[in-house]
Amino acid sequence: MVLPTMSHEAESLSPAPTESIEDRAVRATLACVARHGLAKTTFDDVAREAGCARATLYRYFGGKRQIVRITIAREAARIAASIRAAADAEATFEDAVVAMFVRAARELRDHEALQFLFAFEPEVVLPHVTFDAGTRFLVGAGSAISPALTRFLPAERVERTGEWLARVALTHALAPTSPIDLTDEAETRAFVRELVLPGLLRPEPTT
Amino acid sequence: MNVQVEPRERVLASTYACVARFGMGKTTVEDVVKESGVSRASIYRLFPGGKDQLLRETVGWEMNRFFTRLAEAVYDAPDFASLLEEGLVFAHRAIQEHEVLRKVLETEPDRLLPLITVEQHRVLDFITAFLLPYLEREQRAGRVRPGVDLQVAAPYVARLVLSLIGSPGRWDMDDPEQVRLLVREELLGGILV
Repeated sequence: MVLPTMSHEAESLSPAPTESIEDRAVRATLACVARHGLAKTTFDDVAREAGCARATLYRYFGGKRQIVRITIAREAARIAASIRAAADAEATFEDAVVAMFVRAARELRDHEALQFLFAFEPEVVLPHVTFDAGTRFLVGAGSAISPALTRFLPAERVERTGEWLARVALTHALAPTSPIDLTDEAETRAFVRELVLPGLLRPEPTT
Repeated sequence: MNVQVEPRERVLASTYACVARFGMGKTTVEDVVKESGVSRASIYRLFPGGKDQLLRETVGWEMNRFFTRLAEAVYDAPDFASLLEEGLVFAHRAIQEHEVLRKVLETEPDRLLPLITVEQHRVLDFITAFLLPYLEREQRAGRVRPGVDLQVAAPYVARLVLSLIGSPGRWDMDDPEQVRLLVREELLGGILV
């Protein structure tokens, strides 16, 4: 789901109001998906929700497909930034890892559009996060969170660790029968300390 | 006893054969009747949910076969780490070479993946139950880190093994040295001394 952010010529022509048309379109798309799912959401629904004329929105995005792509890219970037910020606020590696898991799990739990998709349209999400696409997702997500790990780890361990943390989080998101609730900080800390960290600090502990 | 087990197994194997040939969307209960020689009425008695239930249970049936073969391939490994190394290499190759899986993933991922996810908890339970005795053996030999609760560690390893089998990420599962590093550091660093 980590797609490159697209640049839009049209964007630079807009008069820079408080909220750009892209912001509005993304917010509207998320609201529509949270309510009706992806399949039933139409371009018209998004235009209405965004309070834009259909023709205006069409000029910017050219269709539902593009709006969905941009929404995914923007949300992926926003969530990755939120996870990095959670780590940046902590002083130790352990605290940072716990904060990242908890933030990721809460972002997922509170994400109404994603929750709808997981519950009612899993066929929309799963092809992006399993098998070969899962590999691409993990490599992308690992790179996205790696900048938050550089101050704790030797350079050659950073991306590898980022990917492992992304994997641990993803596997809990996809099979939430787990005994560990990653939205709970105390539970997550015990889990991280016991099972996750020692493997990441081998062979040479850095904290 | 086999009177009840046998037709069920035959129906599942036949559904699997039909999916291999026609795909999930195009397979019909009629096709399964023809392939299995089991009557339409009997199939509905065994699988009251019809085609949807047949497909779901066939996915579960094949996952069960896959992981049983995996368990048979590695059960006599000398220790827990070697067991996981051998298992990851074997499973990775088996997934690459699984023609039906590859084909359906290519053409009908939207139909297959939700069913795999639904059936996944049974596979997790299976892997957990399979791994637990090996972990207990490591513990008796004094090779488990003090304070590690095997009831927590076993499902953790199971879920990450499953993740690595489907999506290896950066790891080259054909390179034994990489697999060794992955297993002994990321995967078991918190579990074995």
